[in-house]
Amino acid sequence: MKPLDKRLLKYAGAARAFLFTGALLGLALTILVVAFCFLLSQIVVRAIAGDSLDSLMPMLAGLAGVIVLRSIVTWLLDWTSARAGAVVKSQLRRRLLSAIAALGPGWLSRRNATGVATVAGTGLDSLDSYFSRYLPQLILTVIATPIIVLVILFSDLPSGISVLVTLPIIPVFMVLIGWATQTMQRRQWDSLQRLSTGFLDVVGGLATLKLFGRQHRQAARITSITEGYRRETMSVLRVSFLSGFALELAASLAVALVAVSVGIRLIDGSLGLSVGLFVLLLAPEAFLPLRGVGTQFHNAAEGVAASEHVFEILDEAERMPALAPPAAGSPGRDVPTGRLQPAGRLILHDVGVEYAGVPAVSGFTGSFAAGSLSVITGASGAGKSSLIAAMLGFVSHSGLIALDSVPVAAAGGSGTDWVAWTGQRPGLVSGTVLENITLGSGVVDRSLAIRALALASAAEIELDLPLGAAGSGLSGGQAQRIGIARAVYRSLARGCPVIILDEPTSALDSATESSVIDGLKELVRTGRIVILVSHRPGVIAAADARLTVNAPIGVGI
Amino acid sequence: METHDVLRLAQPPLKRFAPGALLGLASALCAVALLATAAYLITKAAEQPPILYLGMAMVGVRAFALGRAGFRYADRLASHDAAFRTLRDLRVGVFERLVPLAPDGLAGTRRGDLLSRLVGDVDELQNLPLRVVSPLVISGSVAVLSVVTVTLILPAAGLALALTLLMAFALGTWAQTRVAGRAERGLAPLRGAFTDRVIDLLASLDVLIAYGALEERLAGLDEADRRLTAAVTRQSVGVGVTSAVTLLLAGIASVLALVLGIPALGQGDLNGPALAVVVLVPLAVFEVVGMVPLALGAWRQVRSSAERVASAVPDARPAEIPADVPGIGTDRPAGVSLPGPAILELVNVSARWPNAAVDALENVSFTVSAGDRILIEGPSGSGKTTLAHVLVRFLEHSGEYRLGGVDVHSLAPDEVRRIVGLNEQTPYLFDDSIRQNLLFARDTATDADLEAVLQRVGLADWTRSRGGLDAPVGERGALVSGGQAQRLALARSLLADFPVLVLDEPTANVDPEFADSLIRDILDAAAGDFDSRAVIVISHTPVPADLISQRIRLKARVRREAGETGRPAGDARGSTGPGRP
Repeated sequence: MKPLDKRLLKYAGAARAFLFTGALLGLALTILVVAFCFLLSQIVVRAIAGDSLDSLMPMLAGLAGVIVLRSIVTWLLDWTSARAGAVVKSQLRRRLLSAIAALGPGWLSRRNATGVATVAGTGLDSLDSYFSRYLPQLILTVIATPIIVLVILFSDLPSGISVLVTLPIIPVFMVLIGWATQTMQRRQWDSLQRLSTGFLDVVGGLATLKLFGRQHRQAARITSITEGYRRETMSVLRVSFLSGFALELAASLAVALVAVSVGIRLIDGSLGLSVGLFVLLLAPEAFLPLRGVGTQFHNAAEGVAASEHVFEILDEAERMPALAPPAAGSPGRDVPTGRLQPAGRLILHDVGVEYAGVPAVSGFTGSFAAGSLSVITGASGAGKSSLIAAMLGFVSHSGLIALDSVPVAAAGGSGTDWVAWTGQRPGLVSGTVLENITLGSGVVDRSLAIRALALASAAEIELDLPLGAAGSGLSGGQAQRIGIARAVYRSLARGCPVIILDEPTSALDSATESSVIDGLKELVRTGRIVILVSHRPGVIAAADARLTVNAPIGVGI
Repeated sequence: METHDVLRLAQPPLKRFAPGALLGLASALCAVALLATAAYLITKAAEQPPILYLGMAMVGVRAFALGRAGFRYADRLASHDAAFRTLRDLRVGVFERLVPLAPDGLAGTRRGDLLSRLVGDVDELQNLPLRVVSPLVISGSVAVLSVVTVTLILPAAGLALALTLLMAFALGTWAQTRVAGRAERGLAPLRGAFTDRVIDLLASLDVLIAYGALEERLAGLDEADRRLTAAVTRQSVGVGVTSAVTLLLAGIASVLALVLGIPALGQGDLNGPALAVVVLVPLAVFEVVGMVPLALGAWRQVRSSAERVASAVPDARPAEIPADVPGIGTDRPAGVSLPGPAILELVNVSARWPNAAVDALENVSFTVSAGDRILIEGPSGSGKTTLAHVLVRFLEHSGEYRLGGVDVHSLAPDEVRRIVGLNEQTPYLFDDSIRQNLLFARDTATDADLEAVLQRVGLADWTRSRGGLDAPVGERGALVSGGQAQRLALARSLLADFPVLVLDEPTANVDPEFADSLIRDILDAAAGDFDSRAVIVISHTPVPADLISQRIRLKARVRREAGETGRPAGDARGSTGPGRP
């Protein structure tokens, strides 16, 4: 693990600022620590020499002042680092979400969505301990340790040398031990993984185990899984705890070495007590930040790993060839909302879509007439969804997609103003049903939303019903019908002449399905082009036209 | 379960806990003794006594230095080992309480993520001995022993040390509690709102772009982020307070020791080395005591984990969950015999979920005979899954439910489940090989049996292409599509050879285009050569009529409150479960 990733400084400006203030505070703290040790040793030595409390008062006051200042600076360092952690996280999250939006749904669909959500949501929280615990110690290691070692060297050369000799033991040991731990973990990775998730697997599958009457044997299985986990983990820990051991040993041995060597030279009178005590107090302070780095190493590694996932995505977004941004307000169909933009015919001619050179659709030709309900069918993998993605402008395509001879790519606004669409997943968001239905339409018209719901055979759903994230709180069928209503509303409110619905009735029973089709037919009668992708016999029977997509040659199913 | 029951399970017995704690105490005492001996050594040496006089101190300094690191290493190994051994007992203890209640009697664990949180909470409890009890015991003992030692040297300084330590305990705890409490109260809702918006954005990115609502959503996210970050930065002021207070009081303790010690030195009550010890010991003691606020922070987490575990496992079995009656039916070695054509009868059966106000299933009656193909249909919320759970005795019912003429109440639920099998809507696959996922249904099956059953469910080629029976299915079946998961689950049920098999929404997590062929394959395979098996298919989507011998339609019930259905919208939360291609 690199202690500090350069990309952190590149992508999060707040991290740069923090390193600067952190360095200043670290310098102040170092000076205060040296002053504290100096004053404390001076007072003790003078008191032993016979000075009275009164004559030592000014120094005692100075010591008290240093103590107060030291707590304040320590607190300031903690505060600024916690603050920096929060700001950096926010900067990274915002960049990440914009990057994901720029990379688009096509990119996202090739990723594990839960993983991405975790990275953007709580994954970065491990940066908290990286900033609030690890980085300050790292800064102090860079600033305080050298200064304190120099002070010891100047005060008493032999003590300085014993500290200098012990210090490098720590990084060397840490590297060796970290390396050994990693090798060991790699060797045991699979079994460790399985053992660590084994209990979850048994609990998660409990219903299944009960169905097969196997629940009674599981206590023994959990025992053996956990025992195995203990044995494997302990053998890793025996090695990885050695790093802590090395840290503590080096720190305490340095103190012991300094104490003994100072003691011997005090006896023969070659050294004064004030220097000896000062050096003894300073010696552990040289090791303190290093120990902090060591104990926070695991927290930090987690934070670094989380930020690495973010950097990967950000780098990817940066490498992405800039897609021509949809020209806002470009000439075309920028008509007032509400009135249907009459369209005669949607034509697809020789349309092809490729992903990384592999054809997903090739040579699709077809046309959709105004006032008709068409259904697109085709075997799985034939490229129906890719065809729709091409119409919506999510993927680039060859051939021509034109509405009344105007290529749809030039058809204005966000590029999709001519079409109202809902995918296989309804894609609902948190908010009320009304907010979902009127999404992106600009106008919120309750009566129009009620009409859209009715057309989608969802009249029983209340407009003000609040939904959770991703539309949770609804059954699959309800969510699907709200998705349909949303497309219907958009078409009604903005006058979109084309409605495309991908498998709109897959979660509906046949009675509801036919009622949805009735609603869509009503829209067809207003002159709209309605295109459905479906396998359901009821839908195919009701359609005016059926188009079949065939898989490109060489694409297996 | 009560919270203190959970905590008692989590804390190792004294015999297991003591070695680690004693080793940790020895290490902490070495740390204090190291500084005290070093201070004594140096100040005594300045008096220039014969070197032999200091031999003990020199040996002591080195021994304490080694002891501090060595004992600490041994302590960490011993206490982690003890914690893992206790985790074993804890996991078994919690699991055994889960068994009679699962799956429907576990409060709020019907969703997969909550279940994994429960497991995470159980595992979090191993921090109780490691991060809470042990540091508290060690720092408490070190504090007391140091105060006693300093008091023996100079009583007034001992008192001052005791007072500053108490203040550090009190102030540190107070600050920690306040800061953490404020963070929990103030930040949790903001964090939740932000996370919800992130999930929205990622789950609906295509929709947001197509509807031109992306900018608006990103702006909303920015706003939520700004509010969250503003709250976090406001609260970051409190983060370092505890350690600053500890540092301040450590300094005050040393200053007090000086103020009290210097006059005593003048009056000859104290010699120079003793003064050095009295002044420097507080520095080392406070370093040990600095563990206390961290331990209290860990305690808060452990306690809330324990509370969540306790609340997930109800004290008493809810009335809606059938009692496990071991013993009943054991005198009939082969289980119930199924005489006559009517093997399963329901008369006016109603059922409700635990803590629900209304019945989810009302007055359902039907009869199943050997070889029947029954379709249960109805809109969502009509109680289809409830019926499935009643049939396998996961849920208690009113009305009559007879198997082979015997009331199921006189049978052990396990015995009912030997007759009635269920393929769940989202079949659970264990993170293991295909072989292990099949074998647990019938552990005497040979590889040939397994290959035969995979052939029947249409997975023979697929299994071969994956590399045979030893191919893994991934965590929660992540390497398997929804249709394949259904087929594997069916293979499992065929191996177990249930006379009655219930299929709950076999196509719910399957791409629509595969649904029809899947349901046809499943019904064909389920029947197979054994025409006597009865199959009950639950589906809200149409099933080809030629596959069905009887249809039962459940009526829509009053809509349950949002969020209560336990079945999230089909697309919700980007689940990684089977069926997401």
